[in-house]
This record gives sequence, C-alpha cells and structure tokens, in this order.
Amino acid sequence: MRYLILAMKNLLRRPVRSALTVAGVSLAVAVAVSLSGFNLGYARAIDQSIEKLGFQVMIMSKGCPYEAATMMLKGGTGLLYLPEDIYAKVKSDPDIASITPIFVGIAQKEGSSIRDEDEGNKSFSIVSGIDVESFKVMKPWLSFKTGKGYDGGHWFAQDATKEVVLGYEAAEYEQRKVGDTFYASIVPNGKTEPVMREYKVVGVLDRTGTQDDGTVFMPILPAQEAFGRMGELTIIGIKLKEFSGAKMREFEARWLKLPEVQVVGLQQVKTTLVSLVGTAQTMVAAVAAIAVIVAVIGVINTILMSVYERTGEIGIMKAIGAYRGDIFTLIWYETLAICAAGGIFGCILAVVGSSGVEAAIKALIDLGVSGSIVYITPQVIGYAMLGAIVLGFFAGLYPAWRASSMRPVEAIREGE
Amino acid sequence: MNKLLLSAVFGLLLLAQQAWGAIGCTLSNPAQDLKYLFPEMTSYKEDAREFGKIKEGEKHFKNLKVRLGSDLDPVYETYETPYTVYTVFKGETVIGIVHGVNVPGKGGVIQVFVSADPTTGEIKRAFFQRIESPAAKQLKSKEFLAQFNGVTLADLYKHDYYKVADPKSEKDKLGNLQPPANLDEKGKPDYEASLRGIRKNLILLDLFVFEQKAEPFYQRAQESIAKFNAEAKTGEAEAKTEPKSEAKSE
Repeated sequence: MRYLILAMKNLLRRPVRSALTVAGVSLAVAVAVSLSGFNLGYARAIDQSIEKLGFQVMIMSKGCPYEAATMMLKGGTGLLYLPEDIYAKVKSDPDIASITPIFVGIAQKEGSSIRDEDEGNKSFSIVSGIDVESFKVMKPWLSFKTGKGYDGGHWFAQDATKEVVLGYEAAEYEQRKVGDTFYASIVPNGKTEPVMREYKVVGVLDRTGTQDDGTVFMPILPAQEAFGRMGELTIIGIKLKEFSGAKMREFEARWLKLPEVQVVGLQQVKTTLVSLVGTAQTMVAAVAAIAVIVAVIGVINTILMSVYERTGEIGIMKAIGAYRGDIFTLIWYETLAICAAGGIFGCILAVVGSSGVEAAIKALIDLGVSGSIVYITPQVIGYAMLGAIVLGFFAGLYPAWRASSMRPVEAIREGE
Repeated sequence: MNKLLLSAVFGLLLLAQQAWGAIGCTLSNPAQDLKYLFPEMTSYKEDAREFGKIKEGEKHFKNLKVRLGSDLDPVYETYETPYTVYTVFKGETVIGIVHGVNVPGKGGVIQVFVSADPTTGEIKRAFFQRIESPAAKQLKSKEFLAQFNGVTLADLYKHDYYKVADPKSEKDKLGNLQPPANLDEKGKPDYEASLRGIRKNLILLDLFVFEQKAEPFYQRAQESIAKFNAEAKTGEAEAKTEPKSEAKSE
C-alpha cells in the first residue's frame, strides 16, 4: 500500500504530464471500447432485424431479389411471382415449424412535388397480402397501436375485401387513423392504368423498426385480386424446426429441384451484411491498434522521463537501504496507476460518447439495419480495464528495470 | 453474384421502410421548388414554427379551431404539430412567403401550399404538394387553383359574412368560387378538405408572419353575422306575431 501511495505522490508531482499521459491512454481505451461495442452492436442489430422478419428461410421466384431491389431503387414493376401451388407442396415438408404465404404488390401513390415537370413522378407503397393466422405465428410481436385515434385496432377477417391494417409509418405518412378511409391506386396485371381502390383502416401497428412499419397489409385474396394475380405469391416465409447449416442445406436441396424457385436462408444474408462492413471494421481496428501502440509509447516515455529526472533521488533511496525490488515495484506501480486511470476514464468516455459514435457511424455509412449499433456491455468494459492493466504491466517493465538497475553512487552523482 | 442477390433480398426488406418520406408539411425539395415558384429568387430562409413556441400559443391554438370553423384532427393537427415558413429573397428584398399545411383528406393526407405576397398576405399561387384523391386531377387543375389568386384571409372572413347575409354580393371575392369541372360525389370530401386547407394555411400564415392583421376582419365579420342573425330572428318573431295581432284587431 505504501508503494502505491508513494507512486501516486510521484505522479502528482508532475500533474500536467501525468494527466496528458492518462488522456492518451483514455483515448486509446475509448476507441477500443467503442469499436468492440460497434462490433457487438452491429451483429446484434443484424440479428434483431433478421429475427424481426419472422422467418429464417424464404422461397421466392428465381431472380426475384435482384429485380425487387432494382424495382425499389429505380421504380418499375419488376416483382416476380411464384405459382401458389408451390406453397401447397412446401407446406408438407417435415422440417417446417411454421410457414406463411405472402403476396407483395406495389401501389402507386401521388408524387410529392409542386413542380409541373415532376407531375409524372409517382411514389409507391408496399402492399402485403397475408394469411393473418400464419403471419401472426411468424411475427408474434406485432401489436396494435393504441391511444386517441387508434383504439380498437384489430386484424381484418381473412374474407374481408375492403379492409387494411397499416404499418406505423404508413399510417403516419398518410395521416390515417383507425376507421379512416385509405386510397390505393393499383395497376392490375396486364393493364396500364391504375384503379383507385378504397379501403377501411381497421388497425395501425405499433412501430417495429422493420419494413413492416411502411407496409399496408390486407388479406391475401383481395390483394391478389386487386393486382390481377390470382393464384400467385411473392414470398413463402418459413421457420424451420431446427435452424442449422446442415438442416438448411437439406431443405434447400429438397426444394431447389423445383425449376422456378430459389431458397434463401437469412443467415446467408447476415453473413453477407457482416462482410459488407468487414473492411471498414478492419480499418477501424487498425486505427484502434495504432492508438494503443501510441499510448503505450507515451506511457513508457513519461515514466522513463520521470525516472531520469529522479535519478539522484533513486540513488539516495538505494543508498539508505532500498532494495532493487522496492524501486522496481514503485516505478511499476506508477505505470499501472496511469494505465488504470486511463482505462477508467476511457471506459467512461466510450459509454458517454457512444451515442455520438453511433450517430457518426450512421452518418458515414448506411449499414442497412435499424436500432442501436453500438452496444457496450459490462464484459467489454471488463476486458478493456484488464487490457489497460496488462498494457501498464508491460509498459512499466523497462522503466522499472532501468530505475532498479541504477548504482547508488553513480545515480547520486548524475542527479546532482 | 450470390452476394448481390443476398444483399438485394435484404435491400428489398429494408428499403420498404425507406419508401415512406418524412412527416410534416415541408417542401420536398425547397431549393428547386422555391426557384420554380420564384425564378428571380437568389436565396431563401426556413423558419420552424410551433404553437408551443409562440407567445400565448394555447390561446392561438384554440382560436385556430374557431376561425377554421371545424374540429382539428386529434392526432395529426395537434398543438405540437410543427409548421415551416419559407421566406424567399431576391438579394436583400423579400419577394415571397411560402407555407404549407397538412389536412386530412378522405383517403389520405392533403398537403396544401400557398405562396403569398410578403406585404399584403395575398395568395399569389395556391397548389398541392400531395393529394391522394379520386379528384386529384380536377383539384390540381390550374383553372380551379387560379380562383384563389389574390385572395387574403380577410376575404375569407368577409365571405363568412356575405355567405350568410348577402350571398350575391359583388364585394365577396369568393362568392363565385366554383368547384373544379367534372367533380363527382366521390371527390367532394377532398374538395371540402382542400378549401379547409387553404383557410387553415392563411390563418396560420397570418399568425406566424403577418401579426394577425386579418383579425379585425374576423371580429367584424362575426359581429355582423351575429347582428344579422339577431335582426333576422327579430324579423321572424315580428312576422309571427303580426298575424295574431291582426287577428285580434279583427
């Protein structure tokens, strides 16, 4: 304990230098903690986003994903459809825990512009035709918004033809409440002109942070009928009884035999998304590693300077009976104290600044996930503290050895 | 290719939520939209306004409902709803004010904008940014919207009086307001909502920009309507009592 007190007193003799060294270590620790928090948070956000899709596997028409994304980005009518009998075939697969058929169509909305030249620019909304019962099994967390204007929200009956449930953002965008009318302009398959249809809003969903927020839900049959695509589906969403790589491959092999479909596991989507930001993460990790190295060099430099300044003092300590081990411990404690303090302040800085880091990351790159992407856990903080102390352990070795190896007489002479 | 497909799947699932734009009645592309309205514009300023941030906000919010003559939507026309006023400059000179409001239409929101003269508050041009309606085409027609050019909030208040007391008055600038040609029954609710939107827009503009200079016209119109109604009642009462007194004298 007395070594520690003496070490602290020594550090406080040069408060500015000590504080700057602690700040250097803090920054390095903060960067490392933030990066670890980002790695954890991003993986968690992807997991949550995929989990909230409700299904682990999708069966869709070949070429559909690319076409669909192009359509979303550039407009057009590129969604591809599956014959409905595939649903009947897949439904009997023994590995399936739950399955739901989904019909997706794009309704035209009036463009948002005041300029005549933009008159032709149409907006769009996603219309999902669903089978309520199986859809609810797939997404049990969906709930209805309550409060003024929203009370009494419920799912439509499967045979209802003029009822819709709006996702949270779809309702806000159109400023609709429960009981309001909702217009959707739909171009039936094979036709060129849209037909404006009138629906009654029977419910508005709570926010989920997923694509469901912007979706207009209606029973599957009226959706197929409105789009002129009776007997067709866009996606079959599936949850397997056991979701593992092997089971997924078996399932895929069984159904890829069908010529018109592709089977996509959302785990693959996750891997792709993670690899998309992998390069960026590696670069940030490299920056963090450089920051740690710079901090270590800073600590060694500070302690060495302190040792050289106190050469005479160390000589006197040895002359009056201090052992090599006493000097070694003292200098080593000083290093550990700097690194521990840096670790504590660094963790505080990372926790306090996590929202800023998150905003900065989101502003720089579109990660394609919603929700928080920086997740700092107690374990991360624990590892960071441990890392800082280990850093101090090694950084203190050389200055402590240097100080403890001084010969008393020479040290006193040099110190004069 | 596989990666592209997988990204696209996720893109499909995630982009859906981005298909919906931000809520609130702001211009979609202020720089281009204002330049379109005012080709001579050199710069513009955007000011966010809220009832909660203006003096006596609660009183003004209650007054809005009264002056509008209809209930406010309890979810989308609340005390907290933000508004944006665009001030358009040519050099140092203010050449126009642009302001928009959301009003609930029958099957979707209607965004009604006006560009107004910065000194008189007269509508230079009224237009829709969004209108989801079977009558959208008719309501957006230049012929229909041109009827609002030159109209002020004071004219709307005066119209309230003329509508009751003298429907054929030539002084009523809005007396001859015609619904768009070919407007069918289905489009009528959105026509009404559009008129409400113009009125709401001007009331708010008068409050946010013109220091309520149209307020005396509102007060006078209401007093005149009350006076007219009272006189009409007295007249009716007299008309009812006259035959009795005649009968008595007989």
